[in-house]
Amino acid sequence: MDDQRAAGQDEATPVSGESTPRDERGDEALPFGRRRRTAASALVAMLVALALGALFNAPAMKKTALELPFGGERSFRLALVDPLATVSHWLFLDRPARLTADALGRPDPGPTDTQVVVITPTPEPTEGGDSSGGNGDKPKKTLQEKPLPRPFQGHPMHLYIAGDSMMGLPGMALTNLSNKTKLIKAQLDYHISSGLVRPDFFDWPAQLQAKARSFDPGAVAVMFGANDNQALQTSSGKVHQFGSDGWKKEYRKRVEDVIALLFQNGVRRVYWIGQPIMPEPSFNNQMKLMNEIYASVAEETFGVQYIDAYKLLSNGSGQFSQYLRDTNGKLERVREQDGEHLTYAGGLRIAEAVIAAITKEWLSAKKGEAGAPSPKASATASPAP
Amino acid sequence: MLFPTITFALFFLLVFVGNWLLMPRQGVWKPFMLIASLVFYGWWDWRFVLLLALSAVANQFFALWIAGMPQRGSGRKWALAVAVAANLGVLGVFKYYGFFVTSVADFLSALNLNADLPLLRILLPIGISFLTFRVLSYVIDVYRGTLRPASLLDFSVYVAFFPYLAAGPIARASEFLPQLRGPRDPRNVDTARAFFLIFGGLAKKMLIADYLATHIVNGVFTTPGQYSSLEVLVGIIGYSVQIYCDFSAYSDIAIGISLLLGFELPDNFNAPYTAASVQDFWRRWHMTLSRWLRDYLYIPLGGSRRGTTRTYVNLMLTMVLGGLWHGAGWTFVFWGFLHGAALVIEHARVIRSKGRALVVQRQRRELAAALEVLGEAAPPTDDRGAAGPSLEYDHRPWHGAVWPRIGVFAFVTFAWIFFRSDTFAAAVSVIARLFQSWGTVGAAVTPGVVLAIVVGIGVQYVPRSVWQRGEAGLSTLNPALQGVLLAVGLMLLDVLGPTGPAAFLYFKF
Repeated sequence: MDDQRAAGQDEATPVSGESTPRDERGDEALPFGRRRRTAASALVAMLVALALGALFNAPAMKKTALELPFGGERSFRLALVDPLATVSHWLFLDRPARLTADALGRPDPGPTDTQVVVITPTPEPTEGGDSSGGNGDKPKKTLQEKPLPRPFQGHPMHLYIAGDSMMGLPGMALTNLSNKTKLIKAQLDYHISSGLVRPDFFDWPAQLQAKARSFDPGAVAVMFGANDNQALQTSSGKVHQFGSDGWKKEYRKRVEDVIALLFQNGVRRVYWIGQPIMPEPSFNNQMKLMNEIYASVAEETFGVQYIDAYKLLSNGSGQFSQYLRDTNGKLERVREQDGEHLTYAGGLRIAEAVIAAITKEWLSAKKGEAGAPSPKASATASPAP
Repeated sequence: MLFPTITFALFFLLVFVGNWLLMPRQGVWKPFMLIASLVFYGWWDWRFVLLLALSAVANQFFALWIAGMPQRGSGRKWALAVAVAANLGVLGVFKYYGFFVTSVADFLSALNLNADLPLLRILLPIGISFLTFRVLSYVIDVYRGTLRPASLLDFSVYVAFFPYLAAGPIARASEFLPQLRGPRDPRNVDTARAFFLIFGGLAKKMLIADYLATHIVNGVFTTPGQYSSLEVLVGIIGYSVQIYCDFSAYSDIAIGISLLLGFELPDNFNAPYTAASVQDFWRRWHMTLSRWLRDYLYIPLGGSRRGTTRTYVNLMLTMVLGGLWHGAGWTFVFWGFLHGAALVIEHARVIRSKGRALVVQRQRRELAAALEVLGEAAPPTDDRGAAGPSLEYDHRPWHGAVWPRIGVFAFVTFAWIFFRSDTFAAAVSVIARLFQSWGTVGAAVTPGVVLAIVVGIGVQYVPRSVWQRGEAGLSTLNPALQGVLLAVGLMLLDVLGPTGPAAFLYFKF
């Protein structure tokens, strides 16, 4: 607080700016001979800046348009941006941005060629490396069915946490809880607006594969879906509208493929976090549809556990609430202002459920024992509502 | 509608053209600007528009009500109290409802009581704190007699003017309404300064604030255990730079686009991290909030006129309420408390300097009187008479050129920890981590992060004259050439900046 000035002005209440209106100062000299210009010259400068800027940035604008959900707005934007990108290319005006990005090691501003990433799952590795199981003996155990190695101090289990913005604070809470165990080393990797529907926007299968190889996680916690309530395009180019049978089939396949990809790369457990209850009924119904798919895949896949965030973030009546009581009865805000994203306190509820599942499987078993009777059996793994 | 988007660029282009075409016809221009501002605000949520309209109508009613009452009498005071209570009540419901409910629940819980409190989901309208302070400045100035009530249309344009609508600067009615008296002059537009401010703001936001947020700050403040002590220290300093570059960027862009429309808004930042005292910091940081708090809270509380103790109480109260204005949480209250305490300490130091100077002055006078009695030559007198020279003492609470600046920056940065953290536990875990893992640098301390911090602080030490020379140089260029330079700048921002626009931090305040 400007106490000295305040004291000085205290007795003589400053008269309002009415006495010295700014509109009478138009002709006053500006520092260093700065010139005032006409509004028309400002318009010229802005039009040139926007037109030339649009040509310079046409590839990035096209990329942005391509990343929109399939539909009218995307088509409209593409109709505007496509010719702009063509002209920009003819006039070599897309080169400066590309060259600058290249020189600075930044990603190319234009659209990537990838439209749909097709994952072809290979059979999961089994004990002894024989995946066929066709040697006449009984089928060998998959890697996931083998006893889980027990982490110890100095050799923590690696937990890779992946998802969209919904995973932000839950992922951070999970990271903090993992650190506290000193037996789990977590790595959080969340990307805003991403999901499984639009690999052209963010290629999660490629990212998961890369991380599975570089970080070597024993377990992976994932949370997708909040951005997946849009049409998707199959590898054959066919577009399925959200919620259609074709969409459900294709989306389920992508969930299964992601799990298969992780298992192929040595991941032993996947903790698939469902979407929490949402305030808007239509969006909530969409999330319930997603949750059904996740829960169903988890139910049918050994090594995958469904974490029911919907239930964890509902109030006692199973309804949405911005505030919930914790186990000590303390009232806390669990959702951000938008009602969708979770606060840290909300994220902590999910994180605790994941840690409980991990503890049961990885940290509670005695040395040499299998991690758990069945990853499907868990207090937190309840079916979607 | 966010400033750094194509949507806003197109919106502004249309508004700019309409603004200057309609400017000569004020009767058309004002509804046009009002509608444009409502579209801008309603882009987030159309329901926000209702709040804006209601606020304009209600406060115009309050202003007319107050103005229509006799100058002397308790009626005006009561009317003002109703107006202030109504505005703070609306702010309280929208912004502090959750804080109130959870605090009451905690209190009852501590008493082993349990109550079913209504847990409503209330949408926080963007910039509601700024809106409240804007309309209060109007009503209070009318009450004080320093401002006549404007027409409802003029007042509505003032309330809704889109450049400052979401996050300030807090332009007072007395600064803005006079500019609505007549058309702005289309031949006198300070385009060069406007372009400098807009582009500089975009650069600060996209290249420094957002970069630091995603590369170190967010991680350090949410998962401190993942970072080394050095990374945490750099992350904390990074937040100081981030919040400055984010908030001042919004102010700069708002001032710049207002200039292009022909309107001047007050400055909001003046190199705050060069401050040599906390008092100096508040003269440079969020200047429009500081002077609002000074003129509408601190001085009405009594300011520094009612004795030392009362001054300290007023300072603390002002800063604590200022903290609460920023956010509904005890960490914001504590942040305000820290700044209030620092101001009290600085005030005490200055008072002590003044006390010493008074002692010296008295001793000199006594000596002079004694010499006179002894018949010695009297000390030289001057036109200041028997009182002698005016009392001179160092008004600075801290002495030196470098250490006070470092100390103030360290203090402000420390206080930001509580401002940034959701809970005290989170703040303490960040602070504790500062002492737990020295010995490693950590992967988050990258050259890019260090560069962003150095630039974010360094630009504040660049003399104002350097920027002014740049603005002057730009102003002499052909408009088309100005456009080319801006286009190249926009391309660089697009290449170097983050993917997708991020909301400004102060939107939630």
